[in-house]
Amino acid sequence: MLVLPPVLVGLVFAGFVVWRQTADLDSVESSQLAWPTIWRLILQHVELTFVAALLVVALAVPLGIALTRGQLRRAAPLVVGIANGGQAAPAVGLVVLLALWLDFGFWTAVLALVLYGILPVLRNTITGLQGVDPTLVEAGRGMGMSAASVLLRIELPLAVPVIMAGVRTALVLLVGTASLATFIGAGGLGEMITTGISLFRFSLMVSGALLIALLALLIEWLGRLLELLTRPKGI
Amino acid sequence: MWQFITDRSDQIVYNTLQHANLVIQAVALATVIAVALAVLITRVPRLSGLANALSAIGLTIPSFALVGLLLPLAGIGATTAFIAVTFYAVLPILRNAVVGLQGVDKTLLESSRGLGMSELTSLWRVRLPLAWPVILAGVRTSMQMSMGIAAIAAYVLGPGLGGYIFTGLAQIGGANAVNYAVVGTVGIVIVALLADLLLLLLGRLTISKGIRA
Repeated sequence: MLVLPPVLVGLVFAGFVVWRQTADLDSVESSQLAWPTIWRLILQHVELTFVAALLVVALAVPLGIALTRGQLRRAAPLVVGIANGGQAAPAVGLVVLLALWLDFGFWTAVLALVLYGILPVLRNTITGLQGVDPTLVEAGRGMGMSAASVLLRIELPLAVPVIMAGVRTALVLLVGTASLATFIGAGGLGEMITTGISLFRFSLMVSGALLIALLALLIEWLGRLLELLTRPKGI
Repeated sequence: MWQFITDRSDQIVYNTLQHANLVIQAVALATVIAVALAVLITRVPRLSGLANALSAIGLTIPSFALVGLLLPLAGIGATTAFIAVTFYAVLPILRNAVVGLQGVDKTLLESSRGLGMSELTSLWRVRLPLAWPVILAGVRTSMQMSMGIAAIAAYVLGPGLGGYIFTGLAQIGGANAVNYAVVGTVGIVIVALLADLLLLLLGRLTISKGIRA
């Protein structure tokens, strides 16, 4: 299951390249499907996804840690509840409302993506840390470790598999939602579909859809790889 | 805002019902498809790996991409929206239905055979009722997800509240742009909450008394 996805994605992409080079395209299609344009859109899409993913991890993991410590512990169900409720809002509505409120462009799209992708990582960070056996924490304290080193050397390593599962879920959500960034002028492969719809060219719609799907599968695979690589050796 | 809503209340109610209608019909069809597939999968165990892989791939493919793929086949409008929503709605229900049906205790199946039930009766009276709570949990997930997908499908003129979001976007800078987008977004959240409540109620009514928590 770890070798197959990139091979399949590669094969289908190779098929796309062959089609692009040999197909009989009209002038509109060939200008919209020029390779520099295609690479720009792919790059934008990847950039949106990864910038948002980095921000999600940088925000959600510390927040999750804070919500399992001391007095804040009691606020955890409330915060997760709010985040859960927020997930019910349609992604496209969130993207458009933020753009109307702030501005069109890259950073607004990133903000919408971060808001949308934060829940799985936050929830899994809290679940992962709560799942650590309390006797292990106690043992660490008994060995003279400070609270911080117990967190860094016992709790977090044990919670990493659960946290990374959340990161993978977030990556899938983000790469999908990034295809809506085109509505607010932030580019990405969704632009190929919207251009295809406005110019009524099936080749553009299908190319855009295909490339988004391939990218999503590849990023999901990357998430799984990351999950395996970050798993601490002992567990 | 209030003025905006009261001025257009008829139209908003109509679109809300359209949204609910699209999603509920799609999820209902998806439930039938998913349960039928799950019954097939549990009979032929070799299929279960394949089904898992396919549903994982399906859930990874972004909905806007599927809409783009469907357009050449189904055209602009409600058909594309319906197919896209149904496709995604099947996946969580299928996963749960397989888990639910496989989770039925083998000894119960044997007992039902011993009581003289045919395989079909045993499916209908033993396996499905026992798996139903798990299946219904899948239906709830599907319903929530479908609300958002129906909103995206409004870009290709699918019915429902998503259209307001895109109207708001198109009228950017106009007096009502934000009103449109808010009505669309909040409307969908409300429909989603109500649909979830309805499903909870359906659970109360349809989950067999013997296994009700």
